Amino acid sequence: MAENIETASYDALVIGAGIAGGEAALNLANNGFKVLLVEKDLSIGGKMILLSKVFPTLDCSACITTPKVSEISRHPGIKIFTGTEVKKIQKKSENNFEAIVVKAPRYVIEEDCTGCQLCEQACPVVVRDQYQYNLVGRKAAFIPFSIASPRVAAIDIENCTLCGACEKVCPTKCIDFTMEAVEHHVNIGTVIVATGFRLFDPLKIPRYGYGLYKNVLTSMEMERQLAPTRPFNTVLRPGDGKVPDKLAYVLCTGSRDATVGNPICSQICCMYSIKQAQLLMGALPMADVTIYYLNIRSFGKGFEEFYEQAKGMGVNFVKGKIGKITEKENGNLILRYEDINESVVKESEHDMVILSVGVMPNPDAGGFFGEGELKLDPFSFVHQTDLLGSPPETSIRGVFVAGTASGPMDIPDSILSAGAASSEAISYLNRKQ
Amino acid sequence: MEAEKGKTYKYLREKREVSEAAKENLKNFTRVKKSILEALKEGDMTIDQLAQKLNMPSSEVVYFLMTLIKYGFVQTGAIDDMDEYFSYKLKQ
Repeated sequence: MAENIETASYDALVIGAGIAGGEAALNLANNGFKVLLVEKDLSIGGKMILLSKVFPTLDCSACITTPKVSEISRHPGIKIFTGTEVKKIQKKSENNFEAIVVKAPRYVIEEDCTGCQLCEQACPVVVRDQYQYNLVGRKAAFIPFSIASPRVAAIDIENCTLCGACEKVCPTKCIDFTMEAVEHHVNIGTVIVATGFRLFDPLKIPRYGYGLYKNVLTSMEMERQLAPTRPFNTVLRPGDGKVPDKLAYVLCTGSRDATVGNPICSQICCMYSIKQAQLLMGALPMADVTIYYLNIRSFGKGFEEFYEQAKGMGVNFVKGKIGKITEKENGNLILRYEDINESVVKESEHDMVILSVGVMPNPDAGGFFGEGELKLDPFSFVHQTDLLGSPPETSIRGVFVAGTASGPMDIPDSILSAGAASSEAISYLNRKQ
Repeated sequence: MEAEKGKTYKYLREKREVSEAAKENLKNFTRVKKSILEALKEGDMTIDQLAQKLNMPSSEVVYFLMTLIKYGFVQTGAIDDMDEYFSYKLKQ
């Protein structure tokens, strides 16, 4: 590693290139500051770039994200490191932080790759595609997804058999297996933590049968099935390829549930489930969609109208708590639930169940700094020390938080939060000058 | 070892062993791909028919078949009278 150390200076380090991190980096760069934007994944855009549509407007998510991502990628004031992890950040003094970031080898010279996908065609290896939530395969030499930024190939070295097929067909000779990890030591003036969130792992609720019953999906798996760049030709059951016609949503899967360690509301699940229900009724006009809920929290602008619109379209809303899901021999699923309005236990059969999984904290956020320096709140999101006066401030002066790293929120609120974080960061940087 | 441009995989082969899991995964995909394509040579089939013919779980057939569609080996055919199951055929 010693010969692979590079040093550089930037005004700001933004950790996480989802919609919040990207927005914060763009604001800083538009104000003349040099920004290093670090993303762990192979593409910027976060979770939003993988969504089908957004609520409550039903605008195409990719159509909103891609121009923004393109602007971030081409901005001369922003240096982007994808496939890169922040190992350590140390505050030396005010406006003076030192960070160590490690860029993993992509085995492709990014500047030379044209995204022609000839390597992908030549590669004989197929593994499950994490960007399609494992519903379909991808190659070991692959472009993460069609609207990825950078739209550059990468080699999945863990699954690569080093056959050389990709290298032989590459017209620009940009595949380079001699690449090694590079450690960057960077001096920076301020840090924005925009590490986003993790989705709740439904394996923690075994009674819902996720992983065991193939026709029990997560909401993100359904999101991919509804996206234009979907894994199947239409919405299909992963268990047997049947076109479903009786679908159920289970809200609050891993939210408002202290037994799984997440007692708070995830704020987005009601609305994204209602959005998906509307999209499903468009994709499968004959389908029945039922949403099992505890409370519908349609608190935002236009949300209540969106909920009413779903009811008007024929989405069935049942106030009920799911006790258990079991599978029939034909792959259909029996939901045993308490009908809260009637106070009776009922059963209903569906051919596909979607678990509306909640928002969990990203544990990476606390680990960048010395132990306990960046304080977390009781739910393990980044603690906001002055929530009402200055929401982006954290326990470290000069380190700000943006987006869902501080707690569950929807896309507009994430962008607002990023605007606030970048304003505070600019103010902090200017105080020095 | 000096790596020749366009043949750098040889360089990494010297330094790193390909895992048994990766080799096994490649073998398995190649085998399943061959058997699905052979089966579809006999005519259009649904996922259930393929699963029975290949003695594989339907969920595995869905995964492999959709991957073969993605990479242009197979295409989606007609849907049955109940609008439930598509048939699949070799891409012409």
